[in-house]
Amino acid sequence: MRLPSHLLLAATVAATLFATTAQADQLDDIKKKGEIVFGVLGTDEPNSFVDPKTREIVGYEVDIANAIAKKIGVKPVFKQLAVAARIPELQQGRVDILAASLTHNKEREAQIDFSLTTFVTGQKVLIKTASGIKDVPDLTGKKVLTVKGGTQEPNIRKAVPNVEVVTFETTQQAFLALQQGKGVGYVNDEASLVNDYAKLGAAKKDYAILPTNISVEPLALGLKKGEKGVKTAVDGVLRELEASGEANKLFVKWYGPSTKLQFDKRSFRIDSDAI
Amino acid sequence: MGTFDIALLLSGQYHDWLLRGLVLSLQIAATTWVLAVPLAIVIALLRLAPLAALRAAGTVYVEGIRNVPLLAHLLFWYFGAPELLPEGLKQWLYAGNVEVVSAVVALTLYTAAYMAEDIRSGIRAIPVVQFEAARALGFGFLATMRRVILPQALRVTVPPLISQTLNLWKDTSIATVIGVAELMYQAAKVESATFRSAEAFAFATAAYLTVSLAITGLAAWYHHHYPARTA
Repeated sequence: MRLPSHLLLAATVAATLFATTAQADQLDDIKKKGEIVFGVLGTDEPNSFVDPKTREIVGYEVDIANAIAKKIGVKPVFKQLAVAARIPELQQGRVDILAASLTHNKEREAQIDFSLTTFVTGQKVLIKTASGIKDVPDLTGKKVLTVKGGTQEPNIRKAVPNVEVVTFETTQQAFLALQQGKGVGYVNDEASLVNDYAKLGAAKKDYAILPTNISVEPLALGLKKGEKGVKTAVDGVLRELEASGEANKLFVKWYGPSTKLQFDKRSFRIDSDAI
Repeated sequence: MGTFDIALLLSGQYHDWLLRGLVLSLQIAATTWVLAVPLAIVIALLRLAPLAALRAAGTVYVEGIRNVPLLAHLLFWYFGAPELLPEGLKQWLYAGNVEVVSAVVALTLYTAAYMAEDIRSGIRAIPVVQFEAARALGFGFLATMRRVILPQALRVTVPPLISQTLNLWKDTSIATVIGVAELMYQAAKVESATFRSAEAFAFATAAYLTVSLAITGLAAWYHHHYPARTA
């Protein structure tokens, strides 16, 4: 198909204009706007979830986000995103930073930048004990459930090549489907999985988390590609949190022994963005 | 974002995923259609039945279904309704492809409600004297419908039914929310795996559009060759 030349010209001009705006420094824009928009999940306790009492979004990543906003001197705004929508929303500029249980991996580095690693978790599988499954390889040929658009699906397929995977919009729908018996396993980040397991209450005895990790996931904040100013500012805040001991306090507050997750101690430090 | 990588869509693993999604979407639409049309006829007859209780049942069905969004129907028939089944039946259902079954049930009930209204209008378009003449000749209600009214009414109803088929085809995309691996699901999966949103959704759009246009073309063809007869 041949496009009329004036249309082509218009398209070129539009593309050039768009490219120019995209080159403006994002950090300056954030300061000018007076607010910074964080994309969060809001459905993933304890990283970001709605506190049933206050109805506000709270969590480990929300506290980190608040610290960043405070340091830059702007108002934090939280926007809830679906797992699959995270990277597109960041790329299209509808959120400034992702604080959304985002795994830092090589494939994604071509799309976006990452802050220092803020959390390290393994991905695991929660099963019903009645299924007779003892560890990850037993899942061959079985149906497992998880969320759309994350690393869970590719990771379980890598770990168990012949597994059947059904995905949902949220992790909680996948978890519900497991409870209803629509699959034998539910795949998620260990921290979220432990939290969901704790929610089962008396029914816990019928469930178990398989011992083997299907992968180790470094979680980080997602930053727009090439925005050096934002990356320097964010990493600076994270380093300060680590140096002051605040980072460890946040870990204990959301993941520590007095929480549902009951992690004894932190197995990582916030000091590197290498994976 | 780089260039549009058409090769991704023409061959290889992602092409296979998308194609598998398209096939499942077509299968769901076809199965639903086959189940929905007879159900719609029954509902339409209920709404015109001589007994008030039957008419009320038809009205409750149509209004109850049409006034609730399709998304809610799908979530109900996947997460809600099967839980009410007896344990043995439930286990049997869950061992199979419960996602597709739930989607077909939800889509069938939903589409039938709309089709029933179109069929009812078609029946009402047939002059009432034909009904009266048939009854006068000694046919009962059902025989009158089957031998006199429906053959004429269904012909009038075909264009709106084709239009409902078009809606049904597009509605299958919502089944992605209950984990049915249809076209939208596969497009999202390709997007997650490759970050090639434009390519993945371009394929889905082109596929929906092609099938939709084929259905529209069928409607135009039918209209041209079998125009509604006036009695």
